[in-house]
Amino acid sequence: MLWKPIRLVPAHTTFDFMGKRKIALVLSTLINVLSLVGVFAIGLNFGIDFEGGIAIQARAKEGTIHLDELRATTGALGVGEVSLQEFGDNRTALIRVQRQEGNAACVAHADTVMKKRAGSGWSVKPSPDPKVGDVEFTAPSTLDSAGWRDAVSRVGLTVQERQLPRANTNTVKIEMTPEQRAEWCQQVAIKLVEDAIGSKYELRGTESVGPKIGSELMHSGVIAVVVTLAAIAVYVWFRFEWQFGVGALIAMLHDVISTVGLFVVLQLDFSLTALAAVLTIAGYSINDTVVVFDRVRENMRRYKKMGLVELLNFSINETLARTLMTSMTVFVAVLALVLFGGPVLYSFSIAMLWGVIVGTYSSVWIACAGLVYLKLRPEQLRPDDDKAKVKA
Amino acid sequence: MLNLPRWQTLAIIIVTALAGIFALPNILPDSVDNLLPKWYSQNRINLGLDLRGGAHFLLEADLRGVMNERLTNLADSLRGEFRKQQVGYKSIDVDQGKQVVVVLRDAGQRAKALEAIRAVDATMAVGGDGDAITLAYQGQELFKKRQEVIDQSIEILRRRVDETGTIEPTIVREGDDRILLQVPGIKDTTELKRKINQTAKLTFHLVDEATAMSGQNVPAVLPPTTMLVPTREGMAALRANNPKAFEQIQSANPKMTPEQICRRFQPPCLPVFKRVIVGGEDLDDAKSTFENQQNGGRPIIAFTFNSAGGRSFCAATRANIGKRLAIQLDNEIISAPVVQSAICGGSGIITGQFTTQQTQEQALLLRSGALPATLTIIEERTVGADLGADAIHAGTVAAVVGTALVVLFMLATYGPTFGGFASLAMIVNLLLVLAGMSILGASLTLPGIAGLVLTVGMSVDSNVLIYERVREEKAAGRSPFSALATGYERALTAVIDSNLTALIAGVLLFGFGSGPIRGFATSLSLGLVTHLFTATVFTRMLLAAWVRWRRPTALPI
Repeated sequence: MLWKPIRLVPAHTTFDFMGKRKIALVLSTLINVLSLVGVFAIGLNFGIDFEGGIAIQARAKEGTIHLDELRATTGALGVGEVSLQEFGDNRTALIRVQRQEGNAACVAHADTVMKKRAGSGWSVKPSPDPKVGDVEFTAPSTLDSAGWRDAVSRVGLTVQERQLPRANTNTVKIEMTPEQRAEWCQQVAIKLVEDAIGSKYELRGTESVGPKIGSELMHSGVIAVVVTLAAIAVYVWFRFEWQFGVGALIAMLHDVISTVGLFVVLQLDFSLTALAAVLTIAGYSINDTVVVFDRVRENMRRYKKMGLVELLNFSINETLARTLMTSMTVFVAVLALVLFGGPVLYSFSIAMLWGVIVGTYSSVWIACAGLVYLKLRPEQLRPDDDKAKVKA
Repeated sequence: MLNLPRWQTLAIIIVTALAGIFALPNILPDSVDNLLPKWYSQNRINLGLDLRGGAHFLLEADLRGVMNERLTNLADSLRGEFRKQQVGYKSIDVDQGKQVVVVLRDAGQRAKALEAIRAVDATMAVGGDGDAITLAYQGQELFKKRQEVIDQSIEILRRRVDETGTIEPTIVREGDDRILLQVPGIKDTTELKRKINQTAKLTFHLVDEATAMSGQNVPAVLPPTTMLVPTREGMAALRANNPKAFEQIQSANPKMTPEQICRRFQPPCLPVFKRVIVGGEDLDDAKSTFENQQNGGRPIIAFTFNSAGGRSFCAATRANIGKRLAIQLDNEIISAPVVQSAICGGSGIITGQFTTQQTQEQALLLRSGALPATLTIIEERTVGADLGADAIHAGTVAAVVGTALVVLFMLATYGPTFGGFASLAMIVNLLLVLAGMSILGASLTLPGIAGLVLTVGMSVDSNVLIYERVREEKAAGRSPFSALATGYERALTAVIDSNLTALIAGVLLFGFGSGPIRGFATSLSLGLVTHLFTATVFTRMLLAAWVRWRRPTALPI
């Protein structure tokens, strides 16, 4: 043999896990309450996926980025809140612009962009009635409908010819609902930023999420989390007993809430990938839990006289090696993602790393301690239908 | 028993070999790939937009606007019909794109009014009482109409995007009123956005039968009022048989006229008069339907003009019975039916030996003059190609390092034999996932790579469970062979349970997520499924063979 396997975890441990359950309970409650308080008091740093808005990755054409200069330039545009950060390396900046309202300021921006891109003879004006989103364009000369369509596309507005007059005119009123105008204003803001920084920066990627889609993604994200947790809990309930299902559910909630808490504390970008991380953590943390539960069930059938706390301690110690080993394999894989996965995956990877740790912790202390408080007894177990097979 | 039946061993080897074959083109460096036959080496996983660069748009169709317009047209027709039938009305209004509200002068004329309504459109749901009548689309009818609008928009978008010469655009319906448009490799989206709402040029021309009689596809001399236009089938054939020529046409600057295309590349062409009889902007609707049963019940195309279009169409058809009328769309003739009779009153039909599929396609083309609904961009994501290249690089490094770390970890903790087998199984699992994604046609995104890395970490987990159980059984004093057999047997429930729970999360994530997240869910879920195979059956086969070969007295674990 080339080398002997190293046992990272001793084969026999007799750690009193359940004896520490009160400390764990206090600690976990504290973390979870603080996480929830943090969400409401400080708030998550929502990415544009959920809030709507614009994210632009800009790379300096020469040298490194100057965040102060960029901040001054973009802040003066009047497109609302702009946040800046270095992204990946010191040549690239991530510029985030808040979701645009379809207000008069946006039409004024459109006017600026139009004048810059098409000439000073052009103008864009909002409709006098604030309840409708109509916008009036004026050109220096008369244009036909195709010409108008080209012209308005310079400010990111896509219209059909039949929305335009058939006769040649030099003013055009485009009818829009306020909602449609709000979506268009996103395009206007992108062009405005483009014009302002275009000379010094190259835009490598642009993302724009309109006001409507953002709230929808938020909605479906919440549903996804709820449904996933419920589905997994029901699965565990069917495979084991309801006490196990409840224990698993509490453990998952613990992991999900504390992961969200991590996002609050580190102010990581909470985007769709972050949501993916939360769901994966829920699915992954249950892995360890199931392994422990499986052993608890097996031992309960074997040692019918043993007290629950003692039995849980015994089972956890028996499975401790695999609980820690499985977590470590995922931990090293995720570590590679954190270190080399690049800026886009950064929030995701950090969350996963945290999830692996907290998931391991929760399967021991939260899920199993739950069984103690739910007063699981051996006679509540279903008869063992696997037994005959195992004996064979 | 640890040993597997021979057929199972064979099946495992075949599956593994197939996985390797399917996955290989994705892993080999380009220099080796180029040596392989093209049909094989091209069999790669699609890269998502975030890796290859490109633009992603989510467009929302203004269905309310469309319905409003249709109801306004209906209200117009009603006014005409009421006048004709002498039904007095106080008002006919369109309410919020939902319904038409008619208020009669005399409630006693209700029956007569309802009859007039049926004459205009019998499919409407009629409500209200006394002097008030409301008209709305029936639920099913409304659903069908909305569906039509989206299908039509997708078809038109496809033509628009094809014109820009981009390859492999994805255009699919998303939800009720949205269209997802993905264009890989595009740098500047301005041109594309400009094209999105562009109107196609649809025109009706009479065929110059005298010139056509000459029998030459491309006559040397043409009357000054006549032009040559290639047929749609002809252009499709040219595109398929002579892609180079097609490329030349696409990239020609200034754009080639239809006649130049006919003269240079000789596709089947038709001589038509330059004069436009009716334009597409006057065509209200075209749909695929069926003839009366008495006439044979064949599939036909029915179309409707607005009043201006109807008048010119009526005059032109009356004067040209027996001649062909060519329908030209974007410089191609999509069909040239023979005028059977004067078509007056704004609506007509095109008959012929059509299949339902053909009539549907033709109707769609006729309707593709203008987009039925204005499309608003509600989500836009563009990724530059070099940004995508950076992402590929970062993803690859992370995947390689992650895999290496896990292999080292397994070798260190379970020794060269057991750790080696687990690592081998993990590599085979990666191949299986890549092969699976190739076969399913799934796209690999950056989060998808993250999913692969997670799969690497999780797929050895089952081996950990099994090996730890084996260690336990060994400690309990079982012989090596028996320890292995019971280890596999007893760990199985925990392996399956723990993977299925993770799979639940993966599948739900796929259902709720979109774009790159789907990529993550795909690779993760696929990895969980395939690794059930590698961790349990594949390593078991290896260990069984190893035990037979070495006959160990003690397990090195």
